Amino acid sequence: MKRQNLRRWVLALLSAFVVVVFPLSGTAKDAVQNALDSQIEAQILANRTELSAGEQATSFKFTRTAFAQPIPNLDRQRRRVFSFGDRLFNTQWVQAPGSVPSLDGLGPLFNRSSCAGCHIRVGRGRPPIAGETRMRSKLIRLSIPGENAQGGPLPHPVYGAQLQEQGILGVSAEGKTQITWTEEIDQFADGTTFSLRKPSYEFTELGYGPLGDDVLFSPRVSPAVFGLGLLENIPEADILQQVDPDDLDGDGISGRPNYVWSEESQTKMLGRLGWKANEPTLKQQIAGAFSGDIGLTTPMFANSSCSEQQADCQAAATLGDPLDVSGEFLDKVTTYLSLLAVPARRNVEGALEQRGERLFYQGQCASCHLPQQVTGNGSVHEEYNNKTIHAYTDLLLHDMGPALSDMRPDFEASGQEWRTPPLWGIGLVGTTNNHTFYLHDGRARNLLEAILWHDGEAHESKEFVRQLNADDRDALIAFVASL
Amino acid sequence: MPFQPLSPRFSFALIVSAALSVAAFQPVKALSPAVTPSVAPTAAPLLAQGDALTPYVESYAELVYRTYSSAKADAVTMQRAITAFLINPNAETHQAAKASWTEARQSYLQTEAFRFYEGPIDFVDPETGEEGPEGRINAWPMNEAFIDYVQGKADSGVINDPSFEISVANILENDQVSDEADVTTGWHAIEFLLWGQDFNADGPGERSYEDFVSGKGNNNRRREYLNLVTNQLIDDLTFLETEWQPGSENYRAEFVAQDPQETLGKILTSLATLSAFEMASERMAVSLDSGDQEDEHSCFSDTTYQDFVFNAAGIRNVYFADYGDYQGTGLDELLASIAPELNQQMIAALDQTQTTIGQISTPFDQVLASATGSEERAVVESAIVALEDQAELIVEVGSALGVEAEILAE
Repeated sequence: MKRQNLRRWVLALLSAFVVVVFPLSGTAKDAVQNALDSQIEAQILANRTELSAGEQATSFKFTRTAFAQPIPNLDRQRRRVFSFGDRLFNTQWVQAPGSVPSLDGLGPLFNRSSCAGCHIRVGRGRPPIAGETRMRSKLIRLSIPGENAQGGPLPHPVYGAQLQEQGILGVSAEGKTQITWTEEIDQFADGTTFSLRKPSYEFTELGYGPLGDDVLFSPRVSPAVFGLGLLENIPEADILQQVDPDDLDGDGISGRPNYVWSEESQTKMLGRLGWKANEPTLKQQIAGAFSGDIGLTTPMFANSSCSEQQADCQAAATLGDPLDVSGEFLDKVTTYLSLLAVPARRNVEGALEQRGERLFYQGQCASCHLPQQVTGNGSVHEEYNNKTIHAYTDLLLHDMGPALSDMRPDFEASGQEWRTPPLWGIGLVGTTNNHTFYLHDGRARNLLEAILWHDGEAHESKEFVRQLNADDRDALIAFVASL
Repeated sequence: MPFQPLSPRFSFALIVSAALSVAAFQPVKALSPAVTPSVAPTAAPLLAQGDALTPYVESYAELVYRTYSSAKADAVTMQRAITAFLINPNAETHQAAKASWTEARQSYLQTEAFRFYEGPIDFVDPETGEEGPEGRINAWPMNEAFIDYVQGKADSGVINDPSFEISVANILENDQVSDEADVTTGWHAIEFLLWGQDFNADGPGERSYEDFVSGKGNNNRRREYLNLVTNQLIDDLTFLETEWQPGSENYRAEFVAQDPQETLGKILTSLATLSAFEMASERMAVSLDSGDQEDEHSCFSDTTYQDFVFNAAGIRNVYFADYGDYQGTGLDELLASIAPELNQQMIAALDQTQTTIGQISTPFDQVLASATGSEERAVVESAIVALEDQAELIVEVGSALGVEAEILAE
């Protein structure tokens, strides 16, 4: 059951009035509106704080490195690990054997040679822009119909789980991605037009033969990676409390958990991270990125990402140490990322932002972008235990409609289902990453476009926004950008 | 552009940062049991009169100005040597250019004690997003292959990419955009251009002066690149000097007019952060932990040791308000009057840092090449401890003065 379900609450109230005073009088309508207003008002006040991640994990630095700040008051030992993890995150891995065995092992196939290559300043990636000939911070997941032994996507028999667009010397890259954008014009209720651009994909310079007609692919940009230690620490029971797969409350919003394979526990776990809630833990997500994106083996993924049919890749993968990234280094990167602070919300008292805040709740955005959660006590970092946080996500999958579908299942997630992404820090992307491209594939060129792409379970919310006048639209965006 | 007077922008930034610092207030807990809390009551009456702190703030501002002035003058000297090298590239002029880089670094390194409080070096304009020049001046580690050829990749880097027009605008536009390590400017870019990659276990990089002989290969592009990034460094240092010069409507004027307690908090935060985060963690511990001989701050020239020495000197300078022939009113005098015991501890900690850094073997990459548990590594570990101790005492000094000081990390 959902804790914060305005719509159902109001409907119940409304039907009560319909029974008692029918036909609905102006006074009754006002009463409903007032009840709604006071409930929204209470919620807004409960969540209106600049401390997005609580008193001990919120950062007040809003520069280009706003996402790269550690939580305040690190002790010596954690500061040292943080610095080292930061170093690894920024390391340009080189081909093995290199002069430094601890920092070699790139590829043989890879997308970028460093974590920071895609997550610049720990921030958000984007699709290529005019003049760029390759994808710098966006990649293509690949599979074919069916499931692997763990219930996850069945990797492409030749190309594996993602299109690796670079290879080390002597190993052919897998191919390149060409994106064509098609503009579709639509309009708001007030007649103002807007245009959304829809991508279509073509894969060229394929290094290992055709991808085949049944290939499934999912384009994804790299998300910002701060605050994940807190999301990991939200009690599973609290996340599941929001689940409503059959929409029993009739609000049009379901919310489903993804259950994904955990390499550490060798069983299925609740998925929390990734665009499809397809990763159970931060550590596994990092190890997966080392493996798929940089071609580095770790104790968790000890085999190279070369498929059996990529002989040059297989041969090159035997060079250097058996493990490219040691367990110690993997743990340090995990600690580093989990110690990144969440930027504080800005302009909390701004009139425009507060007006937008009301619209955010009135438009039901808060049904999925949950404004408040309380963490559990499972973190090794005391700063993350039993804290009230404002991530604006329920970590659940929602049907976002056919236009956003990647048509590729990922464990329990269908093509149309995506995990509600957190909104904290989203307004700082322009500052940290010099762009404002949003959504899983970066198709939205600004926050308003991102909202207008919402459909499926979010259809009513999108329609709500289409009815807003220009001032209200500005206010809503100002609020989201202040998070 | 950063060379205009900053007054309006800075006033706004200061108001914002003042508001935020109230909002973000985090009590800093006493970390060292050696310091008795009894100093606070003694401090209170003195600090109740803000004017009592003004001489210290003014001494600091003058110290900052003089240090930036030296840094600029030394960089101009370097520029002359680089120009002479480019006019007549040979082994001798090349050596002179490299020596002038090493020399010029010394004063700049001392200015790093003025970072971390959004002053001219690393401000951010909340309206425009414009930032101070720190990232342009001293970013590292850098992906040298983004600038020029590297071992195994003869055609890498913008210098060898004819489609890239070598101009200041283009160089700045491509600085750290698609990758944070894609640094295009600053001390380490110049260092890489002068020395080249260091594959020499016993010494620095061995780039030949012939890379700068005009007309060959992409040499003209490389010559122009070196010339432009050197100019840019001078421009950036000139900006810093101007913002701190006395008697102008500049950052310094606003700095000395602010609430001196808040200002003192910034000064101490800057010292503590350089000491514990930048020096102890980023530049020493990371190098020790990575097992990479060249994972050091000034890897091309093998001058990382002098980075430690002069960074540490920068911290001492501020505490004693001494730089060259300038002798201002130091924080040591303030502390001596209100918390003499803490002052003695602070001075002892500064001395300990100086001593332990002095014991580090050179060049630093030889320490990194030594085995785990080596004596060379143990010395660096003790320097790390000294820097951490020193930083925690600086925070204590803040508490004794009733001001907010903290160890940041970024």
